[in-house]
Amino acid sequence: MSIEPFRRLVRIVARAFYDEEIPAKGPNRSKSDKSDNRGIAVVILDALTRRQWVKEDDLAKVLRLHPKQLRRTLRVLEEEMLVIREHRRETVKGAKLYNAAIAAVSEDHPGGREGEEKLKVHTHSYCCIDYAQVYDIVRYRIHRAKKKIKDQLEDRNTIQEYICPNSSCGRRYSALDALRLVNPFDENFHCENCNAELVAESDKLAAVELGDGDGEDNARRRRHEKLKELLEKMDKQLQPLTVQLSRVKDLTPPDFGTLAQWEKRAIAAGRMSSNGEAIVDLPKASHGQGLTGTPMPFLGETKVEVALAGGDVKREEGKDEAAGGPTKVLPPWMIRQGMSLTAEQRGEAKLEMKSEDSAALAGPTAPLDVKPTEEDNEAMQKKIQEEYLKAYYAALLQRQQEAAQMAASAANGNMSTPGDSTVGDGTSEALAAQEMKMDGAEDEEEVEWEDATATGAMIGEDNGGGSGEFEDEDEIDWEEG
Amino acid sequence: MFFHIYLERNMQLHPRHFGPHLRDKLIAKLIQDVEGTCSGRHGFVVAVTAVETIGQGLIRDGTGFVTFPVKYQCVVFRPFKGEILESVVTMVNKMGFFAEAGPVQIFVSNHLIPDDMVFQSGDVPSYETSDGSVRIQKDSEVRLKIVGTRVDATEIFCIGTIKDDFLGLIGDPGGAT
Repeated sequence: MSIEPFRRLVRIVARAFYDEEIPAKGPNRSKSDKSDNRGIAVVILDALTRRQWVKEDDLAKVLRLHPKQLRRTLRVLEEEMLVIREHRRETVKGAKLYNAAIAAVSEDHPGGREGEEKLKVHTHSYCCIDYAQVYDIVRYRIHRAKKKIKDQLEDRNTIQEYICPNSSCGRRYSALDALRLVNPFDENFHCENCNAELVAESDKLAAVELGDGDGEDNARRRRHEKLKELLEKMDKQLQPLTVQLSRVKDLTPPDFGTLAQWEKRAIAAGRMSSNGEAIVDLPKASHGQGLTGTPMPFLGETKVEVALAGGDVKREEGKDEAAGGPTKVLPPWMIRQGMSLTAEQRGEAKLEMKSEDSAALAGPTAPLDVKPTEEDNEAMQKKIQEEYLKAYYAALLQRQQEAAQMAASAANGNMSTPGDSTVGDGTSEALAAQEMKMDGAEDEEEVEWEDATATGAMIGEDNGGGSGEFEDEDEIDWEEG
Repeated sequence: MFFHIYLERNMQLHPRHFGPHLRDKLIAKLIQDVEGTCSGRHGFVVAVTAVETIGQGLIRDGTGFVTFPVKYQCVVFRPFKGEILESVVTMVNKMGFFAEAGPVQIFVSNHLIPDDMVFQSGDVPSYETSDGSVRIQKDSEVRLKIVGTRVDATEIFCIGTIKDDFLGLIGDPGGAT
């Protein structure tokens, strides 16, 4: 499963470029000035990394954002090519299709959402992160930024501008006008309008900066230094990003396809698993949807064969899991006693992954920079944490009772081992461990998200540190209990 | 960059040229009219190399002039951004210097001249290094790179730089080097 590095990439990107307030483009600029949307893009992107296609209304509900606010941010992200969105008018049946897909992916409460459906025909928007494009966009963005600074640094390809010093005139000319400007008598440039001698633009800046005109060289040097500093700073600050980019380079990005494709595939994967009960009537649903003019996933477009590795991985994964469906870690607060879940779903074995991960990140990480946050965010976070801990402890307690012999190995403080063998029972342990590593990473991110939401953690001071602390706390408490 | 291309032109010929040498006259007039002109699209027409076809003439009402559509082959010169040219300096001032590469005029502003070269006003204004080993003045030969072009309908003007590897002075006015 090659998705994890891409998720991390998106998270880093979010923190690097969208941590600040997103300047709204277009006519609703004044509106957005009123509301404080700092860091919302980070939250949304984080949330999206943990999902595939998601209905925006659902996302808004989960993030407790106003749908309008969410949509505004998503529009910006769409313009930035990070997110793909799809809008379609759909009836209840269309929504059912999506719900079925969701059910197949998240593999819990099949059809449990039916109550939420609205009975009207509505235009629903869905969004998803386009990982392949994110990778390209980010590289392009960095490339452009670097190129711009470098060009300025070397004065390369810059066209000199000239300004009329006459304040009443103030015309600007570029070097391309030079031929017209040159005066045949004194061979200098003269303004076409008022015939005053022109000054080069940087000269003027130099004069402003230094108070008098003699320091052109100085000014140039200073500008050079500034630019060089800027470049260095950028290199340093974007280092985690470039590291992640290079790590991702040879991996095939996960590709969810269009919404219709994704639904189809998710449902197919869900059906491959034995428990396809909720999905049996779906072809019908798709027919109904076809009448409303939306794409029919089961008919026309099925011929398109996407032979990307991402899809294959998905398939394989579906086969691998006896339970069926792509593995999806259940949100921790959903885990209750008596649920028969695999360790993957619980997101066990995260500690193992975390240590490895933080080691990899060790270079650029810095202590978490805690910023003052909005009240409600904090409250929400607290609530989630509490719920999470409750459920987590309950699950752990139960596990402990089940497997008393594990206590010995648990004393080592190595959490992953008990979880490992409990679940692995019988199956090849190495394989299980590997799987868990991946899913553990997923879960680790989840934890990280929770505190990142509140703190708006900056790039660099990224996941490793923050989540590490959190986990450590966990561990100790658990040992006591 | 030079191109060898086909162009077409409607030539108007005065009735007095009608006779056995009509074709020669037409070609001579074409060359006179076309060579040395500049169009923004094709660049400078350097030379007419061949006349491909001369179409049927059409007598203009009222004047007696005859219009011939002429298709001819010619060499054109069109400067491009990023192109390296060798040129001759025509004028030096404190803003930079002007140079000519054939028909095209190029301006090199002083911030696209290497930092170690400074403007020296005086009898012969020039840019020279502090040790005097390199000196750009009028009639010096300079290799430069085009960084910008302004293409009008009948005119092409370029901006060049000599602030890069292997650019700069390649010959002194007298050909001393």
